[in-house]
Amino acid sequence: MADNPSQQLLDMWKRQVEEGTQAWLRMMGQGQAAAPTMDPQAFWRPFMDQGMAAWSKVMTQGNAPSPDLMAQWKQFLDQWIAAWSRVLEQAMGTDSFAQLLSKQLEGFLNVSGPAKKAAEQQIEVSLAGLGIPSRAQVTALARHIAQVEEKIDGLEDKLDRVLRRLNDGSGRPERA
Amino acid sequence: MKDELFTMMGELPAMSPELLARMREEANRNLLRMKHFSEMVMNPKEPKIGATPREEIYRTNKSRLWRYESGRTIRTPLLFVPNLGISRPYIFDLMPKGSFVEHMTALGFDFYLVDWGVFGEEDNGLTVEDAVTKILPRLARKALESSGASEMSVLGYCMGAPLSASFVATHPEFPVKNYINMAGPIDFAHVGLFGKWLAPGVFDVDKYVDTLGSIPAEMVKMGFKLLKPTMDVSTNLNLWWNLWNPDYVSGFNALNKWANEYLPFPGEFFRQWVRDFYQQNKLIKGELVMGGRRVHLGEIRCPVLAVGAKEDNIAPPACVKPLIDAVSTRDKEYVELPGGHISLIAGRGASVHCWPKVASWLAARS
Repeated sequence: MADNPSQQLLDMWKRQVEEGTQAWLRMMGQGQAAAPTMDPQAFWRPFMDQGMAAWSKVMTQGNAPSPDLMAQWKQFLDQWIAAWSRVLEQAMGTDSFAQLLSKQLEGFLNVSGPAKKAAEQQIEVSLAGLGIPSRAQVTALARHIAQVEEKIDGLEDKLDRVLRRLNDGSGRPERA
Repeated sequence: MKDELFTMMGELPAMSPELLARMREEANRNLLRMKHFSEMVMNPKEPKIGATPREEIYRTNKSRLWRYESGRTIRTPLLFVPNLGISRPYIFDLMPKGSFVEHMTALGFDFYLVDWGVFGEEDNGLTVEDAVTKILPRLARKALESSGASEMSVLGYCMGAPLSASFVATHPEFPVKNYINMAGPIDFAHVGLFGKWLAPGVFDVDKYVDTLGSIPAEMVKMGFKLLKPTMDVSTNLNLWWNLWNPDYVSGFNALNKWANEYLPFPGEFFRQWVRDFYQQNKLIKGELVMGGRRVHLGEIRCPVLAVGAKEDNIAPPACVKPLIDAVSTRDKEYVELPGGHISLIAGRGASVHCWPKVASWLAARS
């Protein structure tokens, strides 16, 4: 390992690339009985070498790239997205967009409504033939149970109110 | 073979130690980004959500009342009323060290959460009026009984605010000590894009409900995604940028799980919600009638706090603030905090801005 900090950095970066490549190879090879004999690194080698050459040139000329470039790039993307968001928001806030959206959704309803109804009828007929309760029947039963539960809750509420009045001894009528 | 990769690279010139340190840090972050990305893809972990211990106090149909464990040093209990439909309430107890519920219970609040539940086709007849005059009063009463207190604070979040405000205004006999509206629309004339899209003459709510029965979760999702079309791009960009940070990744996993679990609306509830609130703006006009009683916000006489989020595009501050002028109390305050509709209540920003404000305001009056 070289003492030069730049060289240390390069070594670390090399390790990172190598480990990353190996991780990808492991991932790609998962579940395969035998690893293929091809060398995937060979594909990337020319790109890597060219990239390294370019980086080396920049470093030698003293215009070292800073990690701040990444932060600046992120900032640029954030601003770009924010700008798009503002433009889209303005466009979506117009009456014409609201009308367009309304038409699209109505078109969806016009298609899906009859299709849903026809499918439900078909399924109902099929289930009736098999002697199995239909979705509508199960839903009706569940609704009935919920209504019974609601009535019990209502009775419980009334009983609570009566008990509270008895405990208070006020006899004052309360609101329903 | 490894060294063959770098055959063209010679010795490098020296760099400043500061630049070197920054580049080293960036390189390390890249390594961590790769590690966390492969973990997310190859071995995704189920996020630990809703971790604060709780007990079911009451259940009616699909709705439940939860009480969270606390040391209870603050006398007045707090009833939290969230939105019905749209999303699940575990956002308020998202993850350890990132939970509004955990924050409040740690401060000694006796915390009750209304969980409206997931309504099915059998509940399509449920209306807003049912929620305000039947379910909510019952759950509020059970919370009060469970706490043994004589008064209770009520906090409505998002749609839970107009629902709970309607409840408080129409039930003067219920002892409400304090009321908080957190990002809840009150004046629907200023409700932003949803107001535009759901306007009368644009959105035929009757046709939707009559055709579909209920409003499916996928349609709810589409509406919210359309509200901010660039949201997914910026979310993924921020994920990539912060992928090196394990805390960010675990927070992202939990929030992402919640953000992709949409809930349907019962048909009649949606019809009344759109017609009475979005299209006719009856709440602020004092024209809303629930259980035979007119909802007059001036009947709210307890101390009131309204919290708006500066970048909220679901309930913009302009539709939250009007509550302050509508209530009949001198002890009232409006605050506008940084963040959006969700980041007001969940996430790092919430723990810095919103939670301490709400907790200190309530503690001083509880």
